[in-house]
Amino acid sequence: MLKTEVNELLTQTGPETPTGELFRRYWIPALLAEELPENDCPPVRVKILSERLIAFRTSDGEYGLIDEFCAHRGASLWFGRVEQGGLRCAYHGWKYATSGQCLEVPSEPENSNFCSKVMLTAYPLVKVGDLLWTYMGDPAKRPGLPEFEFAQVPPEQTFTSKRWQESNWLQALEGGIDSSHVSWLHSGGLKNDPLFKGTKGNEYNLNDLRPFFEVAEADGGLFVGARRNAEDGKYYWRITPWVMPSFTLVPPRGDHPVHGHFWVPIDDENTWVYTFDYHPTRALTAEERQHMKDGHGVHSRNIPGTYRPEDNKDNDYLMDRDAQKRGETFSGVRGIAQQDASLQESMGPIVDRTKERLVSSDTGIIKARQKLRKAVEALRDQGVTPPGVDTAHHRVRSAAIVLPQEESFIESCADDLTARPGVAHTSV
Amino acid sequence: MTAPVRPILLNSCALAATAKEARFRIDRPIGSRAALIIALDNAAAAVVDRVAERRWGGARFLHAGDSTEARLAEELADADVAIMIATADADAHLAAAIARACATRGIMTAGLIVGARADVAEAVSALRPYARNLMVTDDEDDVAEVLTALRA
Repeated sequence: MLKTEVNELLTQTGPETPTGELFRRYWIPALLAEELPENDCPPVRVKILSERLIAFRTSDGEYGLIDEFCAHRGASLWFGRVEQGGLRCAYHGWKYATSGQCLEVPSEPENSNFCSKVMLTAYPLVKVGDLLWTYMGDPAKRPGLPEFEFAQVPPEQTFTSKRWQESNWLQALEGGIDSSHVSWLHSGGLKNDPLFKGTKGNEYNLNDLRPFFEVAEADGGLFVGARRNAEDGKYYWRITPWVMPSFTLVPPRGDHPVHGHFWVPIDDENTWVYTFDYHPTRALTAEERQHMKDGHGVHSRNIPGTYRPEDNKDNDYLMDRDAQKRGETFSGVRGIAQQDASLQESMGPIVDRTKERLVSSDTGIIKARQKLRKAVEALRDQGVTPPGVDTAHHRVRSAAIVLPQEESFIESCADDLTARPGVAHTSV
Repeated sequence: MTAPVRPILLNSCALAATAKEARFRIDRPIGSRAALIIALDNAAAAVVDRVAERRWGGARFLHAGDSTEARLAEELADADVAIMIATADADAHLAAAIARACATRGIMTAGLIVGARADVAEAVSALRPYARNLMVTDDEDDVAEVLTALRA
């Protein structure tokens, strides 16, 4: 349960909101690199943290992310033309550089310097891995570029997709931290999904529906350990890292690629969910890559030409009661991503947390909210840099491991929970 | 055979989930949770005493070291969650006794261990078998935070 004011504090991310300011201290995904595939390609509208922006790629390969609207009369630059060194408004020909600086105002005399006085808001846009990342905060506070392992491995070892979720970012993130739902909502996927099935870990998952949970602090966020019974009195642990503000990793299964998410607020009622799979030591196979493109694992099957899932709010997520009855899916919704989205969107665009009835197995969510609130308040009141800004905090891993009862996952798995180039994940 | 396709009506489908409508959900009063908060050691007792000074719903607070088995049984009678608070000196035997009493009555157990991770490692090991949900924190405020979130 959260008080109304805390719920509002954590769910509002527009300009000049405290949590919006928190997000503006991090590099966050702005779009997939595939959305700007070549020089001079069409510009792309981007809305993040409630700001409407336009992304483009110049003839020189330079990426730009500037205010979507022309300073002249507010027309959208999405209709503009990408030209040498900038983006020209289709209305009266004003041209902007990637820095947001107006380069030309054609109606002005040739020797006028008026354009030098016109500037649009602009943010850096940098390709790291399959993503184009932006930093929307104070340039003086800009941290080092992201060092998350999925974005650091060679391109053949990683795959990233994206989907639009019609809910506030926090309820989407909380789904990523809450591993107690996996044995229920995703039980069909553990048995059938080509990117999940066939591992020993799944048996532990399905044989023990009442896991124990342990929440441990991490420098950048939290580690949430879910513990189930294994053989010989040992425990099977699945350890989920959360790096602030909104990066989570799913614990691995066998030699399958490892998945994770980045939850980026579009505005207060919509979220971009960036979903990735990567393998630290080998290329993804053609089959695995195809499965990801087809929406298996934690990816979504999107309407062609968009990032909106085919199974969405408008069609009741293509609910299949027969599949539910047969046990192929637990909820009747296909695909892990839309199983999550359907329930999280059903909670309402911004869930009213004053009406929740949390239980002690929600401790991970409780702690994550508290950590976020404290970071938001410390930044707002004292200018304290929040956890997760330091790039060292990015170098985490999830893990799945069987340990003797007396061993603590956090101490025993320190190496397993740290990204180590060229070393395989610890997985069962 | 697939089920016949039924039309999706605006008022009966997921599209009906709007911010405006969401305000009117779950309007039945939500009662407080009958939580029993039990300090497992002296330092934890001090934490529990400080937390107990705040205003709570149905939460009750207990020092395990000062309580008899009969008193524990009495307190657990109408509890639906038992939250054990510990520091570095947590007593595994006490935790085991409480966990057994909870298991018999079908009461959920949780453990909050307050202290630096390195200092409380033994306490964590001691509680791990007995607390279904365990959190280690160096921030005493987490105790009140968890109790508030649980409507204790």
